Amino acid sequence: MTEYDEKLSAFLDGELSEDEARDIERALASDPGLQEKLESLMAADTLAKNAFADMLTDQVPVELAAAIQDAPVSSPANTPRAPTAAGWLAAAAAVVALMVGGAAGYFTGVSQNTQVAAAPGWLDDIADYHRVYASQSRHLVEVGADEADHIETWLSNSVGSQVRIPDLSDEGLTFQGARLLVAAGKPVAQLMYTDGDARVVALCQIQTDTPRPDFGQRTINAFDMVVWGARNANFVIVGDEGRGDLDAIAQSAAAQV
Amino acid sequence: MEFVLKSADHWEAGCIAQADAPLTRHTLDLFIADIREFFLSNELKRDLIALLPRLRRFARSLTRSATEADDLVQEACLRALSRHDQWDPTQPLDRWMFRITRNLWISEIRKRQVRLGQGQVDAEDATELVSPETGEDTLAARELRRHIEALPEDLSAILLTVSVEGYSYAEAAELFDIPIGTVMSRIHRARKSLAQLIAEPVGAKT
Repeated sequence: MTEYDEKLSAFLDGELSEDEARDIERALASDPGLQEKLESLMAADTLAKNAFADMLTDQVPVELAAAIQDAPVSSPANTPRAPTAAGWLAAAAAVVALMVGGAAGYFTGVSQNTQVAAAPGWLDDIADYHRVYASQSRHLVEVGADEADHIETWLSNSVGSQVRIPDLSDEGLTFQGARLLVAAGKPVAQLMYTDGDARVVALCQIQTDTPRPDFGQRTINAFDMVVWGARNANFVIVGDEGRGDLDAIAQSAAAQV
Repeated sequence: MEFVLKSADHWEAGCIAQADAPLTRHTLDLFIADIREFFLSNELKRDLIALLPRLRRFARSLTRSATEADDLVQEACLRALSRHDQWDPTQPLDRWMFRITRNLWISEIRKRQVRLGQGQVDAEDATELVSPETGEDTLAARELRRHIEALPEDLSAILLTVSVEGYSYAEAAELFDIPIGTVMSRIHRARKSLAQLIAEPVGAKT
């Protein structure tokens, strides 16, 4: 009966053809020895499953989870690369949506060929992204919270406005790190925080000679924003739509920046 | 016709956006896309951390060493995060991660072979358990775990993927880069080895 031996496991796993399975079933019916083998394999399988299930209860080392939580998410620094592919795709999609969909008011009376006309602004911004990122060989994508002092110096120099990392722990937010963005052809400091539920809140800062005199609220693309100005910069706090505490966060940040 | 955004105020105007101000809106969309990407990668981190127990189990079945398993898992997660744009969220994360983990382990084994100047014993030839633990006279769960982890190369990992993780033989063959027939024989050898353990506990052999 050794010819069936190896097939017994495949039989257990439902990996035999109907014909082969029928053969095994017939052989099992007439061969108590084979049946015993099958039962011992099944018992072994049950034991293995229990042992494997037991492994799931092993304590996951905190350091391992922390290493993943703190890991940079894009390509390693020093690789000359502008924003990630996902960023590009989403941005490209946004531009396509602009060209195809809305923006009628904007394009009306401006150009008969909106699709061509929209391209230069987009390309200019691409160039701006590239220009700024390319000069940031060390800080291409993200700098971790453990280099807070460095982030402040680096972003202040890059943005042209003093960047301070506000302590938002009273608002339940933990500082995770910073990125440098480009918007409207200007560098933007982006400080990333997460709350207890790992939701991200970003504080962005852009230099301007005419800062907003007051606070403003907006909801755009499923994100709530609170905007304000101070000194020589405008600030915006961005978070999930409807989280409700952005005002308080903005007030707390505004008192510290 | 000037489309270049020149002033920070345009960007700021985008923040207090008017729907009819597309010049600033598309810049803002760029900015939001960047934040969204951060959200997505944060989700990936959260999902990876949730997957850690199963990833560690799989890595352990490959490496048969707790320390090496954790190193391997960490390396695999960092690899996944650095390539998060390659992840198709419609596909199961566990399968993607098992593949990355397995590939990293294979390349680690190859590096070791080069360093040591010797080949790995093929699982078909490696009939001995790697480090059979003895001393227990009952088939305690701990002993069984040791036995499973001591199974020769790939046997316990293949058993895990098929018997527990629900891979078909064809899927396991693809993951481990071996023929389906080899999956079948290795699964069988793994179970037979465990069945022998039940019939004749390891401690009783010595």
